[in-house]
Parts: sequence; structure tokens; C-alpha cells
Amino acid sequence: MKRTFDTGNAAITEAAIRAGCNLFAGYPITPATEIAENMSRRLPQVGGYYLQAEDENAALHICNGGSIGGLKAMTATSGPGFILFADAFGWAVSSEVPVVIVNSQRVGPVSGITGAPGQGEFYLSRYLTHGGNFETIVLAPSSVQEAYRLTVRAFYLAERFRTPVIVLADQMVTDGWETLELPETDAEFLAMGLEVVPRRIHPGPEFYPATDDIDVPPVVLGHNTGAACSDWTPTDRGHDTEDITWQHKHAWRLIHKILNHRDLIDEADQWYLDDDPEVILVAYGTPSRVVQNAVNAARRDGLSVGGIRPISLWPFQDHLFKRRAIYLVVELNWDGQLVREVQRAAADGSQVHFWGRCGELPTSAELLEDITTLLKHEPLARDGWRTEKW
Amino acid sequence: MSDLLEKYVRPEKNPGTACKGCGLRLAHRKVLEAIDELGLAQGDVVWGTGIGCSGRQTFVTWKGDTFAGTHGRVYAMATGLRLALPPEKRLILTVGDGDAFTIGFLHLLNAARRNVDMTVVVFDNLGYQSTGGQYGVTTPLGSKTDSSPYGAWEPNWTQGGFDVLRILKESGATFLARHTVLQGHEPVESLKKAIQNRGFSVVQLIYPCVTHYGVQALGTRDLAKIYDWFRERTADDLSADANTHFTTGITHDASGSRVEFAAGLRQFVASVQKGVGNGETD
Ligand SMILES: Cc1ncc(C[n+]2csc(CCOP(=O)(O)OP(=O)(O)O)c2C)c(N)n1
Ligand code: SF4
Ligand SMILES: [Mg+2]
Repeated sequence: MKRTFDTGNAAITEAAIRAGCNLFAGYPITPATEIAENMSRRLPQVGGYYLQAEDENAALHICNGGSIGGLKAMTATSGPGFILFADAFGWAVSSEVPVVIVNSQRVGPVSGITGAPGQGEFYLSRYLTHGGNFETIVLAPSSVQEAYRLTVRAFYLAERFRTPVIVLADQMVTDGWETLELPETDAEFLAMGLEVVPRRIHPGPEFYPATDDIDVPPVVLGHNTGAACSDWTPTDRGHDTEDITWQHKHAWRLIHKILNHRDLIDEADQWYLDDDPEVILVAYGTPSRVVQNAVNAARRDGLSVGGIRPISLWPFQDHLFKRRAIYLVVELNWDGQLVREVQRAAADGSQVHFWGRCGELPTSAELLEDITTLLKHEPLARDGWRTEKW
Repeated sequence: MSDLLEKYVRPEKNPGTACKGCGLRLAHRKVLEAIDELGLAQGDVVWGTGIGCSGRQTFVTWKGDTFAGTHGRVYAMATGLRLALPPEKRLILTVGDGDAFTIGFLHLLNAARRNVDMTVVVFDNLGYQSTGGQYGVTTPLGSKTDSSPYGAWEPNWTQGGFDVLRILKESGATFLARHTVLQGHEPVESLKKAIQNRGFSVVQLIYPCVTHYGVQALGTRDLAKIYDWFRERTADDLSADANTHFTTGITHDASGSRVEFAAGLRQFVASVQKGVGNGETD
């Protein structure tokens, strides 16, 4: 194991290279630019291609094009670029093309604040395109080391599920410096629970079966298999059709290939839930680090508190919230996004509260104050503009 | 001709669904003729399409490998795909004038800048036709369409001194030609050169949309009258007045004069790997 001290950007780059990424197309944007820069240095060393696209829409389309040629492709961006992926993301979802997308969330909306962390794309990452009729896989690292692991994992899932996988990070994860352990041997890589699925080639010309099967090799053009690949509603031969029955089969496959294999996707940390704590804090990404500290501190004080950190965000893990409890959802935004899903999923009789801010993390002390208030069953003190209404 | 279709077109897609009398079938056929005359087999070509009548009618017609992109983005996709394909594979895209020259123009220009090896055949029906007939950047000024009931007024890129192919030339394209489908074999000859160019080629191939342009702009459903109008407007060279004619011919042939993008990138990567470091390509 090579022990280094590095950024999330470097971790993501090394992970991508280790996962076999051989195409990166991107467009510079803070705080994801260093990923592009690192890839521009690393990819040629391993025989891969780095391209600077004319915009993010092109970046993901270039990745999609490379992927249908058999390359393993990745792009990285932040909010203003992420929104431009909508078109290409939809194409990859519907055409069932593996590709990895990293979003280092900053403060929005729109240009917002460039160099500070936000969590404004929780829902956008679920619905990064129009039209519905699909499920999305989204993974959220909370540390440099985890950014490495989840990026490798994203490539792995993208190949097996034939779909884009999003790594939803934030500025602190990607810019932050931490200890990073890089596996040097295959054994070390495997010991980290990581695996690489090489690109396999769909035999064609038949399209994917109308089943929830994963591990069906993706369509790869250039091998004269008569493969057809498009965003149109496909028949069993991949031909475009306006027939609603085929559309139904297609949508069913897009949805259920993911929902029926959630055991491969679902991941979460759960802290102190065995004794059914009264208050449960919930967070993903960097804020979950503070949440974990606060929960540990509260426990040391003997308080009935636990914590949940979803690592895979989508499909949403409703099952994590089946305990009746007082939930406090901590997010780097003012409008409350994750909290809405927790509210929907929480067991009957639960209370769901929101702690929001963006640009900077909450402090452990601030969270402890809210925990104490909630345990006393008193209303949370809120300054006028930190709303609990969503 | 049916031999050609049998040879290259998937039976499920023959005949296509273009309107009766539409010039699109002629346009499609010109591309197949060029492929045939070059002696290319099904496995030698990867075929991509855009959105619109042109895209939809030609998508998955090709018996070999084929793909379709969203509106205007197929040039960016083809840029990525080109990096993965063996250099000898021909990459042909059949797209609409709107797809290439408006919504996808940024990507088209950048594919030209990079000189990515692909042949973009723009099936130009003088506007947005599959959405019912609205004017675009190749619609002749004054044309009545459903979105220009008083006549098309916005400046376009084919008249008034502009030529969209000249913009592409300045952007780095290495082969450019314009024809109409009424020109017999000439477009086929240009298409052959375009396909043979190991670089970025665009062939603008103008054809009659009988259902919308014919009815809205030319005021007739009579196929003979519509085709006559196109025939009369077709000039056999580039010197005619572009305000009143479709000037035709090869507007730029610099085939082989620039490093092709994928080849250049491969060479660059190899030089980095060899430790040369500066990665200069000659
Ligand atoms: C992003 C997007 N915008 C608009 C459309 C609607 N649309 C479908 S076909 C078409 C016309 C395209 O014109 P052109 O490329 O010239 O093709 P034609 O139908 O004329 O062959 C449009 C605007 C779309 N499919 N996608
Ligand atoms: S609408 Fe016009 S261009 Fe489209 S298929 Fe019909 S005639 Fe051809
Ligand atoms: Mg058109």
C-alpha cells in the first residue's frame, strides 16, 4: 500500500486510472478543474486520451461516443457544468452506455460561490435528464480515501449495469487534503473490496433483452456486429419505434435492472442504532464527518442519539429510515433536499427536522445544541431565514 | 438500385418512412452509391445519424454498426467514437441542416478544428421540416414557412455573402462540397472524395421537402413543379449568384493536408509514453 497525503481530486484520478479509464473529456470548472488537470497528466502515461471539450454538453457526448466504441470514459464538473450534462446523460441512460460522471458540488444556484462546498444537486443527480422512466445510480464520498473507493466502484457498477454512474462529491472532498492509501498490488486492491470489470462486447444485432438482467455486455460499435445504439425507443433489434409496448419494455428494463439489484448498490454507515436512539442525525458527504463527531460526543454524554450516512444516494435507501425516531437531516443547502426524501421514507410517527447551511460546515457544537433541544422535545431555535418549511 | 438497398439496407427499414415524393430517398441513395463505388462493405462503415427527417429516415437503415445521437450532438459523439475505432473504418453521419448548422454548429466547428476523421452528409431540406416546416439557416430569404408567414427575414448562412461551408473551411475542415440531389452522379463523386478523406469532411446535399417546403414556400403539391423549381435553382458550379441559386461543387479540398485528430492524439500519447514529454506531432 502506498501511503500518501493528497486531495480528493488526485484520489479520483488515480481511481479512474486503476479502473481502466482511457478517455476523459471535460471543461474546466472550479472545484473540479484539478481532476481534468490530473487526468491530462496521467492518461497519456497509460495510453489513454484526454480531451478538452467545447462545453460540458460536448464533454459527456464525447465520453458517450468513446464508450460506444469500447473506451472507459469519465468526465468531471461542478454545478454549472453538471446541468449541461442533461442531454448526454439522458442519451447514456436510454442507450444503456457505461460512463462515469463526477460532480464536485459547490454553492448555487448557478454560478453561486465557486470555491465553497454545497449540496444542491441531490435531486438533480437523480433526475439529470428529462422524460422520466429510468433509475439512476449515485454514490457520495465523504473523504479522500472514499473518493478513491467510490470512483473505482462507479466504473464497476457502470459496466455491470450498462448505465452512467454519478459520483456526487463536494468541494471539500475534492479539494481537501487527507491521507490516501493507494493499493500497489492486485491483492491490495481486492482486499479493499474493489474490482474492475473489463469492457465486454455485446454480440449484436439483437438489443438487450426485455429483462432486469445486468452483466449483459454493452453495445460496442466497430466490430461489425450490426449493433444499433440510440436514444430512440428500441425494439428487440435496437430499431427505433413509436410503439408504446416496446417503450414499456425499455422503461421497465431501465428501471428494474437497477431496482432489482440493489444489493450491489446500497451502502450506508449507521452509527449507534442498535438501542433505538431517540434522535437520529442524517447526512451525506463532508457534513457527515461533523455529524459523526457530534453523534460520538453526544453518546459520550450518554444521550440517546444515532446517525445515518447514506453512501449510495440513489436509488434512495428508504429502508434506512424504518425506525420511528426524531430525525435531524444536516445538509449544505438552505432549501432542504435530502430531508424531503427522509421525510417521505421515515417511519410513521417520526419527526423530521432540517439543519441547513452552505459554503461552510456546521460545527459539532451547533449540532449538539439542536440534539439537546430535540431530546427535550422543544422547538428548534431558528433564525428567520433558516426555514424548516419545505 | 434495389440491389444497393438489398446490399446495404436492413430489410425492416426498406422502404423508409419518408413522405411520398420526398427527395430524401434520392439523397440517401447517393450516399449508398458512393459507398458502393468505393467498394466498401458493410463492416467498413459505422453510420451515425442526428434528429429530424434526415436522421430518423436513415437511422438503423445501415446493415452494419449504427448509432443515433440527440439533436446536434452526434459530432461530439463521433469525436469520442473516432478515438475508439480503427483508423480504416469510415465514419459517416447523415444529419439535417438544422442538426448540423444550428443546434449542433458548435460541435461541428470543433470537429472541423480538430479535423476528426468523419464524413458529415448534411441532408439539407431548407429548414426544420420534421417539426412541420419552420425556417432555418439555409432557408432562402423570403420563403414562406409555418414560422415565417410573411417570408423568411432573418439573415441566413447561404445568401447575402455568407456561406456556411466557408465558415467550416476557416474552422479547419479538410473537404467541403455542396450539391443538390438533382445533379445525377456529381454528388456521388464528391461524396466518394469526402469519405476517402482521412479527416473532417462535410457534404451539403440539398433536396426537396415536398410536404412542407413544397407546399408552404413553393405553393404547390405538384411533385413535378417542386422538382422543377429545385432543378432551375441548381447551378452546376460555384460561380453563380448564391442569392438566386444553389451553387454547387467542391468548395474546398485539402484532403490529407492536416493531421487527423485521432491519429495525432495517438501519436502524441505514444510520444508522452516514450518520455519525449513535449508530445509534439509533426
Ligand atoms: C433538443 C431538441 N430540440 C428540438 C427538437 C425537435 N426537433 C425534432 S426534429 C427537428 C428539426 C430538425 O431540423 P433538421 O435538422 O433540418 O432536420 P429535418 O427534419 O429538416 O430533416 C427539431 C427541431 C429535438 N428533437 N431536440
Ligand atoms: S416532411 Fe419533408 S423532408 Fe420530411 S420526409 Fe416529408 S417530404 Fe421529406
Ligand atoms: Mg432540415
